[in-house]
Amino acid sequence: MTETVSSPSDSAGRAKFWSFARPVLLRILYGLVSLLFISFITFVADEIAPGDAATIRAGEKATPATVQRLREEMGLNRPWPIRYVEFLGNASRLEFGNSTQGTEQPIKDTLAKALPVTMSIAAFSIALATFFGILFGMTAAIRENKGADRAILSFSTLGVTIPNYVLLPILVLLFSPLYLDMLPTSYEPPDRQVASGILYILIPVVVLSLRPMATLTRLMRASMIETLKQEFVRLAVAKGVSPRRLYWTHCFRNALIPVLTAIGTSFGYLLTGSFVVESAYLVPGIGKTAIEAITQRDTPMILASTFVTGLLFIVVNLAVDILIPIIDPRVRESQV
Amino acid sequence: MKKFKGVSPLFWIGVGYLVLLVIFAIIGPTFRHPYDVGLSTPLRTPDAMFWLGTDELGRDIFARLAYGARISLTIGLIVQAIAVSVGIVVGIVSVYGPRWISSPVQRFTDGMFAFPDLLLAIMIVGVFQMGVGPVIMGLAFTAWPPMARLVKNQVATLKDREFVVAAQAMGANTPYLVFKHILPHLWGVLFAVMMVDVAATILAESTLSFLGIGVRPPEPSWGQMIQVGNSLKVSAPLMLLWPCLILSMTIFALNFVGDGLRAIVEPKKNQSI
Repeated sequence: MTETVSSPSDSAGRAKFWSFARPVLLRILYGLVSLLFISFITFVADEIAPGDAATIRAGEKATPATVQRLREEMGLNRPWPIRYVEFLGNASRLEFGNSTQGTEQPIKDTLAKALPVTMSIAAFSIALATFFGILFGMTAAIRENKGADRAILSFSTLGVTIPNYVLLPILVLLFSPLYLDMLPTSYEPPDRQVASGILYILIPVVVLSLRPMATLTRLMRASMIETLKQEFVRLAVAKGVSPRRLYWTHCFRNALIPVLTAIGTSFGYLLTGSFVVESAYLVPGIGKTAIEAITQRDTPMILASTFVTGLLFIVVNLAVDILIPIIDPRVRESQV
Repeated sequence: MKKFKGVSPLFWIGVGYLVLLVIFAIIGPTFRHPYDVGLSTPLRTPDAMFWLGTDELGRDIFARLAYGARISLTIGLIVQAIAVSVGIVVGIVSVYGPRWISSPVQRFTDGMFAFPDLLLAIMIVGVFQMGVGPVIMGLAFTAWPPMARLVKNQVATLKDREFVVAAQAMGANTPYLVFKHILPHLWGVLFAVMMVDVAATILAESTLSFLGIGVRPPEPSWGQMIQVGNSLKVSAPLMLLWPCLILSMTIFALNFVGDGLRAIVEPKKNQSI
């Protein structure tokens, strides 16, 4: 792609570049609009909700005059559209002000500490889910309606249905010192860990990966079964291609595309799940931070965590959307 | 009744379970009031007096589960009733409405899909104080877009069917068409989808309560009981088991019934996952 950009006089090259860049730019635009939409809804909901940061900060015994003074100090007496625009301006520079709770830490610092924890768990989960989702899906499709297929399908139904806050405590209990004594019962920060770091995130990673894994398994299976019905498969069989080569070389790439798109959506479940898993396993990530902010009614923190979670979700989906035309030439062609 | 032939036995198991659950929800709490603290010693194991034991404050777990069932089912049904109503209006407006209204409505619906719905519900419930009202509001706000999309797609297909076109040719106006010819075809599918969505709503409500931002204690809810059970799992594993069990079974039952209904309403689409 770089060669085409470096020779702008070449009009064909330029057209080709734009045919690739335009959908990407459109998607970025769409992502920005969704981000605006989400932050707007949270902001408006917060406006409608009774009480605000000033009433909370003033405490229960404060007089209306004190609350009013605080409100003016915090700039909450100005109309909300102005404050919303101000919030957006600050948020675009990733400035979210200070928390209204506790030691009033800058929100940026809190999020900077929480984000890597959530991201590493999410990355491991997605990797695990993708690997096993594809493997199980392929196996099920190849053995359609046989024992292995049935088993995998039932397992994936369980994976979709059982909520992670049911599964997590059961796993923790099972691996706790009470029974198998293999894994820690909650997360510890790196400086307090007594065992290898991976053990401390193993349960959250496994629990979080199950739902996306189940979804990806079903999709991979359906997509592979569709692919196996296509003409080129019959041709390949007629040519005498070995089954293994047929499945894993000829069909695999064809069946992969819908699954890749789903990884982006699965990431949404993963983020939602991380709220639950982090709260239950005491992992100091974005999810736990956000829930704490909500229970303390720490408005700037709630808005900031919504914004950052939304940003994460949109960026991942954007990355998937950009990757797909690179992997699948058919999609690339259709965009011209 | 012919239609019900060949429906999977899971459907009937699901129906049976749900009937029992409704009875449980109606008469269960009357055995012993779920708020009553100190009826017994805390963390008792099951016996003849306390069928499922007592919780950390000596409250009867059986009664609390039943009361939780009442709350979960009520929230599930109200949220879905709102979602279906809004979904029908939005879906029909985006097909039959004038462009200046259908276009923004559709953009808004699409926008709602751009973000995981439970995350949005967490944020909305989060900024309001906890309680049944905000939970219903937050979940209803995120539950209608899939319904609206479903209604829109169904209406768009029905719109071009012969009987609708014929009625139109005979001079039927749009409201008449919608109420007499289109809506009657939708109820079956909507009811089936609603069953599965009630399950999703109950799960979402439990998630919120588990996170401590849902139903306000001392009103019991399954999610909250799981949360307490989680913190006491080492000393009282049974306290964790009961709510997990009833929640999972309810979700399975609703899904079985929803899938069964779907198979009855749309026999041809039965094979799809």
